[in-house]
Amino acid sequence: MRIAYFATLRDVAGKREEGWDRPAATVGDLLRDLVAKYGPEFARWVFEQGELRLAIVLVNGRDVRGLQRLDTPLAPADTVTIFPPVGGG
Amino acid sequence: MHGWIGKVLRIDLTTGKTSTQPLDAGLARDYIGARGLGTKFLFDEVDPKVDALSPANKLIFVAGPFTGTYAPSGGRYNVVTKAPLTGGIAAANSGGTWGPALKYAGYDAVIIEGKAPKPVYVWIRNQNVEIRDASHIWGKTVPDTSDAIRAETDQDAHVACIGPAGENQVLFACIMNDLHRAAGRSGVGAVMGSKNLKAFAVIGTGAVTCANKEGFERAVLKVREMIHKHPTGGTGLRLYGTDVLTNILNQIGGHPTKNFQDGQYANADKIGGESLSAKVLQRPKGCFACVISCGRVSKVTTPKYKGEGEGPEYESAWGFGSDSLIDDLDAVTKANFLCNEYGMDTITMGATIACAMELYDIGAITKADTGGIALEWGNAEAMVEMTRLTGVGEGFGKKLALGSYRLGELYGHPELSMSVKKQEIPAYDPRAIQGIGLNYATANCGAAHVRGYTIQPEVLGTPAKVDKDTIEGKPELVIEYQNMTAALDASGACLFTTFGVGAAELAELLSTLTGVGYSTDEFMKCGDRIWNLERLWNLRAGLSAKDDQLPERLLKLPIKTGPSKGSVSRLPEMLPVYYERRGWDASGVPTEARLRALGLA
Repeated sequence: MRIAYFATLRDVAGKREEGWDRPAATVGDLLRDLVAKYGPEFARWVFEQGELRLAIVLVNGRDVRGLQRLDTPLAPADTVTIFPPVGGG
Repeated sequence: MHGWIGKVLRIDLTTGKTSTQPLDAGLARDYIGARGLGTKFLFDEVDPKVDALSPANKLIFVAGPFTGTYAPSGGRYNVVTKAPLTGGIAAANSGGTWGPALKYAGYDAVIIEGKAPKPVYVWIRNQNVEIRDASHIWGKTVPDTSDAIRAETDQDAHVACIGPAGENQVLFACIMNDLHRAAGRSGVGAVMGSKNLKAFAVIGTGAVTCANKEGFERAVLKVREMIHKHPTGGTGLRLYGTDVLTNILNQIGGHPTKNFQDGQYANADKIGGESLSAKVLQRPKGCFACVISCGRVSKVTTPKYKGEGEGPEYESAWGFGSDSLIDDLDAVTKANFLCNEYGMDTITMGATIACAMELYDIGAITKADTGGIALEWGNAEAMVEMTRLTGVGEGFGKKLALGSYRLGELYGHPELSMSVKKQEIPAYDPRAIQGIGLNYATANCGAAHVRGYTIQPEVLGTPAKVDKDTIEGKPELVIEYQNMTAALDASGACLFTTFGVGAAELAELLSTLTGVGYSTDEFMKCGDRIWNLERLWNLRAGLSAKDDQLPERLLKLPIKTGPSKGSVSRLPEMLPVYYERRGWDASGVPTEARLRALGLA
């Protein structure tokens, strides 16, 4: 699996992207593993009171909020893209 | 009156006469200010059929009730006029400090009429209004004009002006204030140039009064807190500016690429907000009373594109970047600087160059037209040079000055202009995001994202996520955003306050400031009223339902790559529902009943 980070999450992870071999059945599993690896600075841009309310998470370019949110299944060939809550106009 | 000053200044440039009139309290209540009051003045005073660049058009500068107060990020003004680019109504919105200065000088609005016999500038210090000779300043860039006028008026004067592009009546010339802020779209700067009005400098020592000071303070603190707590309003925009959107839109496949031939650009990250912050950003900057600071003070050191200034915004980075397959951030930033210095809209400039590159690609234009410049996709140097030529009014720049629609028409391919009502579509692909396409098609000023920014729910998920690909519920969503934005623009607030608050909080701020009790519904109804009045004026100007249309490419050519592959805009299915929900007939004309309900009949 490939994971791409943007904005503040690039600074937190210290990289633009990385390969991820550890099995993760769902987006929720992956995000919890990433929080374990990168700590509370990562979590603060992703979760609010344990819910995925902040980050924009895409699986192969599709927003998980239109899929099964944290329960969205993942496959080894997937690309997961994670944005902190940002915006503009 | 509170919030409003209660006075309108009228300047007739033909005769040199100035006069003031009281602001009607009923009009102020119903149209709030800025975009709303400006629309009402235009509707009452300007024949919609006039030539936009003739003395019969009027140029209306209007602040909102928030403008000049400490309402968070509430210091904006609008320029309302007949637009030379679209032939419809223009309401160009700008921040900075100019709007507050106008209020402190003692005016809510200034209506400029006629045409000066020679170049002039207007200098206002409180009740003293002078029309001064500007012959020696004509031809100067925005920074040089601003310096010159400050030197001969007051070093603290707030200057709004045009650059050479406005003088040359480039159809997408801006009015720039505070050097880098733009009343940007639809060619309001060309109207100013047509009146021989080079600049408008103002300084004031008055104040804006408040009806309920304690209530207003409470509302201000609440709004400030809500914006601060919002991750976008409080943090994201300051850190990365609006250009952070490049990667988001690109990753979802909604980032128009190669003049909308596709929806994803492989090199987009190189011109995105993360790269901007790392490479050219000097510091974030806010407008008057801003708590967000999305502005980018930037600097390019690469010798070829060396310069200092502000920007780029997301739309500018896209227009000079992905839309022309350019991934050189220094070149993109330089083109933005040039637009600020010559006074041109970055969206239309970038999109017009992209259209020209496609015309060149298919052989409709050649080096014989471009002055020997190879206008190939991805040619960053050519893009910057074309921007400069348009600014100075030389060579092929004279053709680009027409905007993409008239350029395409000139060379036999108007279908290559990605525009609505001849105004260029910004950086969100309507094939990948259905609601924004309906907003583009129906916006009274021509294609614009900031008239109904459905990107918030459709992409960003603010305040709640809505499926971007469905058309279900989109007409209602677009109408709600359009009405809310019209009321917000009229108040003097910045659109980015909606990254934190909504209509309810803005209505509370407005009520406590003015003493006029606006419920949330009444605030929204003001927006609806403004929208319908704009529509009525456009219909009288000769626009009709046939102009509520996207380019055929977006309706028929599916996106080729990325997650939005295969998508087209479903505008034809949404538009009839939109008309019906607006209370308009099948040809897009507001019904008598609807107009009566809004107090417009």
